[in-house]
Amino acid sequence: MAFVKAQKSRSYFKRFQVKFKRRREGKTDYRARTRLINQDKNKYNTPKYRYVVRFTNKDIIAQIVSATIAGDMVLASAYAHELPQYGLKVGLTNYAAAYCTGLLLARRVLKTLEMDEEYQGNVEATGEDYSVEPAESRRPFRALLDVGLLRTTTGNRVFGALKGALDGGIDIPHSEKRFAGFNKDSKQLDAEVHRKYIFGGHVASYMRMLMEDEPEKYQSQFSDYIKAGVGPDNLEEIYKKVHAAIRADPTPKKSDKQPKEHKRYNLKKLTYEERKQKLIERLNALNAAAGRDEDDDDDE
Amino acid sequence: MPAGHGLRSRTRDLFARGFRKKGYINLTTYLRTYKIGDYVDVKVNGAVHKGMPHKFYHGRTGRVWNVTKRAIGVEVNKQVGNRIIRKRIHVRVEHVQPSRCEEEFKQRKIKNDQLKAEAKAKGVVISTKRQPEGPKPGFMVEGATLETVTPIPYDVVNDLKGGY
Repeated sequence: MAFVKAQKSRSYFKRFQVKFKRRREGKTDYRARTRLINQDKNKYNTPKYRYVVRFTNKDIIAQIVSATIAGDMVLASAYAHELPQYGLKVGLTNYAAAYCTGLLLARRVLKTLEMDEEYQGNVEATGEDYSVEPAESRRPFRALLDVGLLRTTTGNRVFGALKGALDGGIDIPHSEKRFAGFNKDSKQLDAEVHRKYIFGGHVASYMRMLMEDEPEKYQSQFSDYIKAGVGPDNLEEIYKKVHAAIRADPTPKKSDKQPKEHKRYNLKKLTYEERKQKLIERLNALNAAAGRDEDDDDDE
Repeated sequence: MPAGHGLRSRTRDLFARGFRKKGYINLTTYLRTYKIGDYVDVKVNGAVHKGMPHKFYHGRTGRVWNVTKRAIGVEVNKQVGNRIIRKRIHVRVEHVQPSRCEEEFKQRKIKNDQLKAEAKAKGVVISTKRQPEGPKPGFMVEGATLETVTPIPYDVVNDLKGGY
């Protein structure tokens, strides 16, 4: 191999300052985090809750989190993979599913805090902008939306989750600018369009279009939907039922499955005693070998 | 050009961030709560420009007398001429750390209360006062052998080697 000049010298490493671990992993935006967590000092230990929404490839995670020095404490959480319990089997990461997850989380939180009777939220899911009004006895539960590292474009699923939580009865400061159906030119939210998205209308119209134009693509794209017997016309019905089921019983169900034993891919870290033991064994072996070599040398 | 005595004069190293500690401020500084009457150390964090105290107060310890939205009011002693004035400054939380000056005292208080409660239960009178270290106790020297040292007679030949 040709001689390549070393790029990173020893002094480079000596002077290198590592970023925070979660920044290195690319998971946390600390600039946003400090601003979300910072609580007024004259409010002392009052927790400041953030409504965390994260999307994975197959799941949606919605949590209400408060920060402490020991770590973040999760007050309540809802996942899209719980939606099958409420009747939604397919399409677990679309805008409508995000709405359902947000709604589920909101009802769950309010139930644990025993505020669910007071703050029903918006039972009829129209696409209009709805903010919780304070009731007589207690002020509404307030949380701040934490999008993480998402690009906040109009119509992003994260705002579907936001709408779900708002309609569930949580007070989250927001503006309607980024909901699906907001018209940039007229600067107004078209409630009809938003409602369509909440009930999966955009998915339904794509299904209809594919069924007419490219049936094979329809089969491949929506194979799970077809297997579950969901067509473009029943989508709205299904979501309405899911909303009702969520409002009826939002408590989380404990899973009975035992956690699986995972295969270990890396070596297990040894304890202090184990490491000491290994060292003693190694030294003994070395001494024995050295003793043998000395004997050999002496013999020669 | 003359020296200049601005607010942050002569603070090039004082307000500098440490080696390999530049950039982000860790979140615990924002999560700590301070109550009125706590002792705090003032330590300037050069990364945050708002709410910085004057360089005199860097390294001082004082008591909290006020808590506002983002800052703490600290009462610090300053010697002015022939007297010490209690000065009240407001400092943002990034420039403040909880002080450990009272920690030993508080722990001793708890331990003493415990000892007193036990003694009361047993009916024994104890003193929980701290005593200074006294002189070390006397001891016998053991395993000492006597070695008699006598001067050797002056030997001219050996002692003058090399310089003769």
